[in-house]
Amino acid sequence: MSLSILLCLPVLLALVATQLPERYVGRGAALLSLIPLGIAIDYLARFNPGNSGLQFVTDKLWISSLGIHYKLAISGLNIALVVLTAILFTISLAWSSQRQIDRPKLYYFHFGLAQSAVLGAFMAQDLVLFVGFFDLMLIPFYFLVGSWGTGDRVRATVKMVIYTAVGSFLMLAAAIATGVLASGQHSTALTFTFTALQHLGLSRTDQDWMFLAFAAAFLVKMPLAPFHGWLADAYKSMPIPAVAVFSGVVSKVAAYGFIAIVLPIFPQASHHYQTLMLVIALFSILWATAMAFTTKDARLVIAYSSVAQMGFIMLGIFSLKSTGDQGALLQMLNHGIVTAASFFIVAAVAARADGSENLDDMGGIAFRAPVLASFFLIVTFANLAMPGSSNFIGEFMILLGVFSTQMWIAIVATLGVVGAAVYALRLFITAMHNRVGGRVKSFEVRRIEVIAIVPLLALILVLGFYPQFGLNKSQDSVKAAIAPAAFGGCQNDFPGRTVLSCVAYDPSKTPTSK
Amino acid sequence: MSPTTWGWLVLLFPLIGTVVIGVGFKRWGRAAGVIGTAAIALSFVCAVGALVTLLGKPEHGRELTSSLWNYASAGGVDAKLQILVDPVSVFMILVVTGVSTLIHLYSISYMKSDKGFARYFAYLNFFVLSMLVLVLGGNFVMLIVGWAFVGAASYLLISFWYRRETATKAGIKAFVINVLGDVGLVLGTFFIFRHTHTVSFLGSFAAAPHVFHHDSTDLVAGCLLFLVGAFAKSAQLPLHTWLPDAMEGPTPVSSLIHAATMVTAGVYLIVRLHPLFQLAPTAGEVGAIVGCATLLVAGTIALVVTDLKRVIAYSTMSQIGYMIMGASAGAYSAALFHLMTHAFFKALLFMAAGSIIGAMAGDQSLDRMSGFRKALPFTFACFIIGGLALSGLPPFSGWLSKDDIIAYLNNRGGVYEVLGILGYVGALLTGLYTFRMIFRAFFGEPSPEAKELEHGHLAHAHTPRNPMTGEEEDNDVGFPGPEHVIAERELPMKVAMSLLAALAVVGGFLQIPGVDHVIQNFLSPALANAPLASAAHEPSNGNAWIGLIIGAVIGLVGISIAFRIYIVRPGTAKRLQERLPALHNFLVHKWYFDELIDVVIVQPSLMLGRFALGVLDRGVINDGLTGGVTGLVRSGGAAVRRAQTGFLRYYAAALIFGLSLVLLYFLISST
Repeated sequence: MSLSILLCLPVLLALVATQLPERYVGRGAALLSLIPLGIAIDYLARFNPGNSGLQFVTDKLWISSLGIHYKLAISGLNIALVVLTAILFTISLAWSSQRQIDRPKLYYFHFGLAQSAVLGAFMAQDLVLFVGFFDLMLIPFYFLVGSWGTGDRVRATVKMVIYTAVGSFLMLAAAIATGVLASGQHSTALTFTFTALQHLGLSRTDQDWMFLAFAAAFLVKMPLAPFHGWLADAYKSMPIPAVAVFSGVVSKVAAYGFIAIVLPIFPQASHHYQTLMLVIALFSILWATAMAFTTKDARLVIAYSSVAQMGFIMLGIFSLKSTGDQGALLQMLNHGIVTAASFFIVAAVAARADGSENLDDMGGIAFRAPVLASFFLIVTFANLAMPGSSNFIGEFMILLGVFSTQMWIAIVATLGVVGAAVYALRLFITAMHNRVGGRVKSFEVRRIEVIAIVPLLALILVLGFYPQFGLNKSQDSVKAAIAPAAFGGCQNDFPGRTVLSCVAYDPSKTPTSK
Repeated sequence: MSPTTWGWLVLLFPLIGTVVIGVGFKRWGRAAGVIGTAAIALSFVCAVGALVTLLGKPEHGRELTSSLWNYASAGGVDAKLQILVDPVSVFMILVVTGVSTLIHLYSISYMKSDKGFARYFAYLNFFVLSMLVLVLGGNFVMLIVGWAFVGAASYLLISFWYRRETATKAGIKAFVINVLGDVGLVLGTFFIFRHTHTVSFLGSFAAAPHVFHHDSTDLVAGCLLFLVGAFAKSAQLPLHTWLPDAMEGPTPVSSLIHAATMVTAGVYLIVRLHPLFQLAPTAGEVGAIVGCATLLVAGTIALVVTDLKRVIAYSTMSQIGYMIMGASAGAYSAALFHLMTHAFFKALLFMAAGSIIGAMAGDQSLDRMSGFRKALPFTFACFIIGGLALSGLPPFSGWLSKDDIIAYLNNRGGVYEVLGILGYVGALLTGLYTFRMIFRAFFGEPSPEAKELEHGHLAHAHTPRNPMTGEEEDNDVGFPGPEHVIAERELPMKVAMSLLAALAVVGGFLQIPGVDHVIQNFLSPALANAPLASAAHEPSNGNAWIGLIIGAVIGLVGISIAFRIYIVRPGTAKRLQERLPALHNFLVHKWYFDELIDVVIVQPSLMLGRFALGVLDRGVINDGLTGGVTGLVRSGGAAVRRAQTGFLRYYAAALIFGLSLVLLYFLISST
């Protein structure tokens, strides 16, 4: 079975669903999305963790004159994310299907398109293809916010599109430049596949420019502070199922881009900018934490907590240690699950507070909804990365990785861990405990909420007992991905890799090697 | 069965209890109490099984590990789901499950009219499970998991009456301080892992002497960070402020968590990690000094507190101070011995306090209690036994265990001798505040509640009020139940208290200088490689007995002062307050620790948050950066937008613009 099927199915199935009578579109889309989920799980089962390279490769020369390949593959880096994407989309569709949606046919079509784009971005093994999918992701979300959003959605879309577009141009330019420069410097045919580019090292200066362009696109998409200006409005306006997948997987595409593209293709630049990236990540953690415990909006608490979590993931990636990067990959999976569950719970809580997501309107909901309170509590503990949750193992490994490269950054970053306890618990308490809020009508969790929350909760619990599950598949791939960057690009451990500027490159003169 | 199998079973029963009660919380009703108690009782039986099988092994083979599966093993980390069964952990599981069983039993009566009965027992079982994971965990990761679970369970139980704002505030405070402790533990682990490259206890301990120099920087840093964890959990200065507030929880919770088990985790931690602390004497000194400071500060605050439960809470802090001091100095078996006897008499005192609070219809203020001696004879007897054990009077258990620690300190000399002498000052304070509490609650003119109770009427508040704020409360879910109970009328409470009272009397006989050394002998295989625990450092029997006599005399002096102030001349306390207003104020404000933390940590972080939200995010990011970027692009694309093309086309146009930029770059660079 080819990966193209997995790639195209979501959008095709969404088209099939739109042919159903309007009342059944949602349920049809949700049920049909089980097919790509099944296929993704099948790939997971057949995945061979002992192989650090690409598996299930589909490779066709697409535009031969430009050397662009249509190349998809699964590796230890993206397998968990592909499965996560399938899971979160199925759950979001299930949540939507239980609700009245305006113009359902278009809505579900956009969801299908979004899922295909995200899967494509994760599986693409060609730079141009990746950029294409990366940009394609924006289109369905643009419509989802613009047409089905709430509040000041015009402002939100404008901001989101402009921010991401600026990043995307830079990345597109850099992607093309990388292919052209690499083939030029090594006098080979034009190529954009990751594997080929890994073997065609760029000169130091070129790497630096390319690195910065890619980093700009990814930092905006994740987002990390101070590139997060679009986040609050966009997250606030998006419909809940859209924000769950956006925060759950779309933001992970950017983090995945760093680990799968930037580190292997621009290893020396990654090494060179390591400290800068760590500092941005650290700044993001502290900033977002401070924001999360000040904001009065329940949804924004989760939104900022994801900025902080993306900061941790970034720390892990740029620790350039296998411990840290493994932790980062695990944390991407954990965070995807937990943040989606959190958004659904915020929606459930808001439904009991007269539709308001303002913390001042909430309170005492646990009183008549003990089951919902227990769900919320478990998600809260996972969100603050309490030991015993898989999130803790992710953070533990990330911090350990950073600790062994830049001890002080790890120590300062733990402030984010303490801060997370404050804002996560504050959110739980103000919503569920204390006196019953003025507009609160508390009632027990309902089927339409259970359908989304319980599967995610089950995943949180299973991963809590067995976080190793999230680590097993990726060990060798992670080592291979970070090896060149970890050694500053000078260690020639890729057979066939030509290193251009290692002679001029003196580790003792870079700021990161002290 | 092997000791490790018993160890897993010890964990299994509370887990089953938590899940069964939690899942069926609507169905069980009052049966939840029985299920919860049975689960912990079975766990205790398994702990005894572990003890028996462990004693059947030869002395050098009493450190056994067992693991179920890889928990997190990647990138050099080797964490397994692993337990370590050795004399230290078996000692701890015996104390934890034993005392917890009695507290579960007591709770069946104490919580019987509460609407959250099943939830209560699910939490309580979860708490015991967490504590057992903590003490049985075979590597740093398991330890941290148990450590954090205990914090979470404690949070749940402190804010059990979650519609009281005082309770939720106390809960979040406890949780956050505990997370700070978790972070200390995590960072400490990193410092050790950096050199030993393993997270397993036995592996780290074996490697430590080879990879660390005596008092090397990383080792001391690691141990100090472990101490941060220990201080947070064991309510030592300056991370103690959560413990008195934690008295917002139901009284049996105070008894279980904030006296007998959770707060002892710090002591356990130091004893468990003694191979590391031995190599870092500086960290040991810091621990001992902080423990000593805590015992004095808490002792002085307990002199003026008027809330009955808080007096006992401060007394707990003070007693844990002894244990932390002892464990840091190297008196491992003495510290664990005191941990055990303290668990007995402190659990007893809290249970007895619960009985008086029941008679007062939920009021905890010492100012309103008096003369309960006749109304509550059984509670009074328990209070006296617990009070004498706490004050360290012979032959009660606290006398033998506390003075065991002080004798070791005095024998070790140097700075430790000073600390030992300060320990005697603490003993004087202990006698004083303990009997201040007893004399005020049980002697003097009976209060209206006591008088009514003498006629057989148990007081019931007409309008339930929060004792802290005076706020009116209803009796629905999330508030205390409407009825109150006293031990005199409830068999389960009576049984639990009688057993603890018996243990508080005889528990000390396990270790009498010159007579028997049961605990020391039992623990010795686990301490075999610890020079500080060798016979050379133990005080001679003669010195130990001199210490015991001094301790008894000092405790007695403390009690006599209390007797003089509160019984012989009842107005003395008031006159002292008037004569020394500054000192009294200082103590009433608990040495201003809460205020200090508020000014130094809470306010600045809130200000930072507000600043980030208000000024920077709104001003700089939104209006400056975003506004700038969007404004720039907007004005450029205004024409396009006016033509109703929408953003997609604009976006496509921009892509082309980007592409042309790229082409431009190549044109320039190729020339």
